[in-house]
Amino acid sequence: MWSALSTAALGHLGLAGAALLAAAALGVPLGAAAATLPALRPAVLATAGIGRTLPSVAVLMLLLPLLGVGASPAIVALTLLAIPPLVINVDLAIRGVPPAVLDAADGMGMTRAQRFVRVVVPLAFPLAFAGLRVAATETIASATLATFVGAGGLGDLIVRGLQTNDTAALYAGAGSVAALALGADLALGGIGRLLEART
Amino acid sequence: MITRARALAVLGSSALLTACGGGARVRIGSKNFTESIVIAEIYAQALERAGIAVERRFNLGSTQIAMAAIERGDIDCYPEYTGTALLDVLHLPPQRDPQAIYRAVAAAYASRYRLVWLQPSPMNDSQGLVTTKAVAAAQHLATLSDAAKAAPRLRLATIQEFLVRADGLPGLQKAYGGFHFASVRTYDIALKYRALLQGNADVASAFTTDGAIESDELVVLRDDRHFWPAYNVAPVVRASTLAARPAMRAALDAIAPAITDRAAQRMNAAVESGKMDPSDVAAAFLAEVR
Repeated sequence: MWSALSTAALGHLGLAGAALLAAAALGVPLGAAAATLPALRPAVLATAGIGRTLPSVAVLMLLLPLLGVGASPAIVALTLLAIPPLVINVDLAIRGVPPAVLDAADGMGMTRAQRFVRVVVPLAFPLAFAGLRVAATETIASATLATFVGAGGLGDLIVRGLQTNDTAALYAGAGSVAALALGADLALGGIGRLLEART
Repeated sequence: MITRARALAVLGSSALLTACGGGARVRIGSKNFTESIVIAEIYAQALERAGIAVERRFNLGSTQIAMAAIERGDIDCYPEYTGTALLDVLHLPPQRDPQAIYRAVAAAYASRYRLVWLQPSPMNDSQGLVTTKAVAAAQHLATLSDAAKAAPRLRLATIQEFLVRADGLPGLQKAYGGFHFASVRTYDIALKYRALLQGNADVASAFTTDGAIESDELVVLRDDRHFWPAYNVAPVVRASTLAARPAMRAALDAIAPAITDRAAQRMNAAVESGKMDPSDVAAAFLAEVR
C-alpha cells in the first residue's frame, strides 16, 4: 500500500509540477502583455476567462486525437487549466501599480526597463504570486484525472477504490490529493513571503 | 424498425399505466459500462412490453455498488455475470463447467441474499488478454502461456480493477506463473484499446464481448490453461419483487436465449461507435427477437 501510494503521489506531483512550470512560462508573459498592451487585454482576458470554465475532463478527451494517451495530454490539459489564474493575477498586479509611483520612477530618470525591474516587479509580485498559488492547488486537484489516460498519479488509487469498493484506497488517494494541494499552497505561501522580503 | 419497436414499447407502457393506474414500478439497475447498460435496457423494455412498469436506475458503478443497491432494495433487478458472482461476490473457488457455476451462484444468492437468478443467456463475456497482430507476430504470442513468459518484454494496458481482482492479474500470475509485465498502466475502460492501437502498450486486458476486439487488428490470446470461468449474463431479481410480479420471469426468460456473444458484440459496438443510444439498440434487438 505504501509503495503504491508513494509512487502515485510522486507521479501526481510530477504531472502537476510540469504543468505548473509550463503554465508559468506561458501565463506570466501573457499576463504582462495584457497589462501593458491595452489593445490585447480584452482578448487575452476573455480567453483566460473561458479557459477557466472548460471542464478539464473534456479538454483531456479532446486532446487525445492530437496527443495520444499517456503523460503528454495530461500535462497539456493541466497547463491549460493553470494558465488563466496566472494571466488574470499578473495582469491585475501590474495594472495595480499606482501611476504616481511610476511617475516618481520616471522623475528619477529610470529607463523603461529599469522602472519595470526595480519598481513594477516588486510591487506587483505579491498579487502575481497569489495567482501561482491558486494555479498550484487547482492543478494538483485536477491531476487526479490523469488516471483516465494512463498517466498514473493519485487518481489511480481513487479509481481503484471506486471500481473495487476499496474504501482504504479511496481515502488514501483522495486524502493525499488534499494534503498535497494544501501542502503546496502553504509551501508556496512561505516561499512567497521569503521572496517578498528579499525584493 | 427502431421507431416501430419504440412505438410498441411506448404503447405497451402507456397501456399499462391506464391499466394499473401506476403501481410500484420495478426498478432496473445496471453497472457503469456499455454492455451492462444495454442489457439492462433490454430487460427494461422486455418488461414494459409485458405490461410491467419499470424505472431505470442505470450506471451504478462497480459490482459491489450494484450488489449493495439490490441488497438494500434500492433496485429490484440488474444483469449480473455468473463468473463475477462466483469469484468477486461469493469468493468461491473457480469452476470450469458453466452450468455448475450457474447452479452454485443461484443457490448461494437464494440462501444468502434472497435474490433469484433467472435464466442465463448463452452470451459469455469472459475476460482475456488481447494484443495487436503485429505484436503477436513479433513476440510469437498465441496463448496466455506465451504471454506469461514474454511478459517482461511487454507493456500492459488495463484498468485498476484488473490489478486487484482474484479473476484479474493476481489470479493469472498464480495460474500461469510469470506474467510480470515490463510496465503496467491503467486507463479509462474505453481507452485501453487506443493505447494498444497507438503503440503505447503491447497487451491489453479485455472483456470478450467488447465491440472493439471485433477489429481486424486485434488478436485474443487463447486461455490454454482455462483460467477464466464462464461469465454468462442473467437477470438477478429480489425474491420479494418476483413474488409480487410473477410475470417478470416469463418476460425475461423469453428473451434470454437471444442474447448471444455475437449479438452482444454487435450491440456494444453500435453504442461505442457513438452511432446509437442503448435504448435504440435494445429496441432494435427486441424487434428482431419477436
